[in-house]
Amino acid sequence: MQVIIFSWEFPPRIVGELANYVKSLAVQLVKSNVETHVVTYHDYLTGPREEPEGTKTHRITNPVRTHIGVLTWVLTLNQEVERTAANIYYDAKKQTDLIDAHDWHFIPAAVTLKKALNIPFIYSVESLEEHRSHGANSPFNMAIKSIEWLGLYEAKKAIVKSEWMRDEATRIYKVPTDKIKVIPPKSTAWMKTVLQTYKSVAGGAISK
Amino acid sequence: MTQELTVMMFTWEFPPRIIGGISPHVYHLSKSMAKNDVKVYVVTCDFPGAPQHEVLDEVEVFRIDSYKNPAPNFATWVYLMNMNMQKEAAALVKSLGGKVDVFHAHDWLVANVGIGLKHVFRKPLLATIHSTEIGRRNGIHSDYERMIHETEAWLTYEAWKVICCSDYMVSHVRWAFGLPEDKLVMIPNGVNAQQYTKNKNTNLSQFRRKFALPEEKIVLFVGRLVYEKGIHVFVNAVPKVSEKVNAKFVIVGNGYMKEPLSKLVKSMGLAHKVTFTGFVDDETLGNLQRCADVCVVPSLFEPFGIVALEAMAAKSPVVVSDTGGLSEIVEHDVTGVKVYPDNPDSLAWGITKVLLDENYANRLKNNAHKRVQQNYDWDKISQQTKAVYKAVLKEYSKSFWA
Repeated sequence: MQVIIFSWEFPPRIVGELANYVKSLAVQLVKSNVETHVVTYHDYLTGPREEPEGTKTHRITNPVRTHIGVLTWVLTLNQEVERTAANIYYDAKKQTDLIDAHDWHFIPAAVTLKKALNIPFIYSVESLEEHRSHGANSPFNMAIKSIEWLGLYEAKKAIVKSEWMRDEATRIYKVPTDKIKVIPPKSTAWMKTVLQTYKSVAGGAISK
Repeated sequence: MTQELTVMMFTWEFPPRIIGGISPHVYHLSKSMAKNDVKVYVVTCDFPGAPQHEVLDEVEVFRIDSYKNPAPNFATWVYLMNMNMQKEAAALVKSLGGKVDVFHAHDWLVANVGIGLKHVFRKPLLATIHSTEIGRRNGIHSDYERMIHETEAWLTYEAWKVICCSDYMVSHVRWAFGLPEDKLVMIPNGVNAQQYTKNKNTNLSQFRRKFALPEEKIVLFVGRLVYEKGIHVFVNAVPKVSEKVNAKFVIVGNGYMKEPLSKLVKSMGLAHKVTFTGFVDDETLGNLQRCADVCVVPSLFEPFGIVALEAMAAKSPVVVSDTGGLSEIVEHDVTGVKVYPDNPDSLAWGITKVLLDENYANRLKNNAHKRVQQNYDWDKISQQTKAVYKAVLKEYSKSFWA
């Protein structure tokens, strides 16, 4: 199985909790014989790299250097995510099985790649704008919420880390409960359940 | 009809959505390309009342959901709209079995969708740069403007070839983004001269009465009412022209300078001589251009100057500022009058000269009409564009993407 993980943070770039989580996920996937690519952002450590643990990282930077906010920054960065993921796909002779997009940042790229190349994606929800912004509904927050909604709508499955988050995603975005898989990171069945979920999603691509 | 190649055009405006010059440009270009055996798909923003999908003279037009939540600002909206356009265009290309030979993006407003789909489908991207931020704003003064400038640079970087509509724009774009010379192609903009002959049955003298008294000459300005179009220069020329000629100044278009300028006109005591019509429909515009005694294009920055070309096709004499693309369209004393940019005295001199000398005005407009038919014909322009596509595809066929 070949998986591409999208995350806007990955060591050495650590913004919050997500970076180390995605790193441990990638390392465990490699140990489970999954070919794992991570597409992530770094301002200058760019390009493909084989990490000691066997993960293949692709760090990209923003082609537009000046920005007026996180939204414009993210939306142009998505183009580089798309380009890099497409290159991985073509290099792998179109055998990419799925994309696992962590949080909303690279959802636009995941959606385009799904529509264009038939690569299904999972939306792994770390947090939601509703909670980050304490219910604010300015045009800025609404734009991020609309991307989160798009992600949950277009994803084949969503992975959340708690039952509370599953209920919140259902409440806020009206996602059917059976589309959301709860996988607590510290649980003993963590990697097994992740792999099961990946396989259930990748099925579509493998048989194409 | 056998179609030799397939292009997908991206544009943020396409009729009936008309904001500036890109909309008519893509409209005429697509229609004439289709006549020249090119299969054309146009992907554009939606518009109230316009269908999501329609076929116009063999051009297939798709209108996408252009992101209708309130956006924090215009540029952020552009990127959000691109996200939607990309999603829908990706599905469209896939439904066509990937059978698109080239992508063609018009301005930074569709940079993201063009660049994204280029890499996802591994097809060549062409860009037409109609205008630049550094030119529109006469420099880069804020992060907002720099972001747009860098997005334009990024689009020209990703494009296989960059098309500009005038020699002036070629050198401007080369300077602004540091592009190699062989990446740039000049293909002029065009004008559809027939559209001014088709409404012949309109009674022009009756139409004219809606705007001016019979003894008043009509001086026409058409354009967005923004700084770079030099509308303030035009308004400042009004009292100077009025000293010598009894004329009505008709200003067509909208923009942020409308309010301050109409206040200025009132304070000059000339409100009865100046009419702000706002945005008008194509037929009214064409009739105004036909019955104007002079059409004025006082721009400070003008990549091409389509409105001068339209006036020439409508057989109205033109007075233009000697800048940008206008310098190339108009030959002074032969097809029109060129005046110093940003200079109301010079502009008033040009307008007065045309209005007071009927023989001179007639000579200019007859020469201009001939020139338009020779050099700015859409059929010829679409053949030139097709030749660029073919040259790019030949190079592409030797690349590892092919």
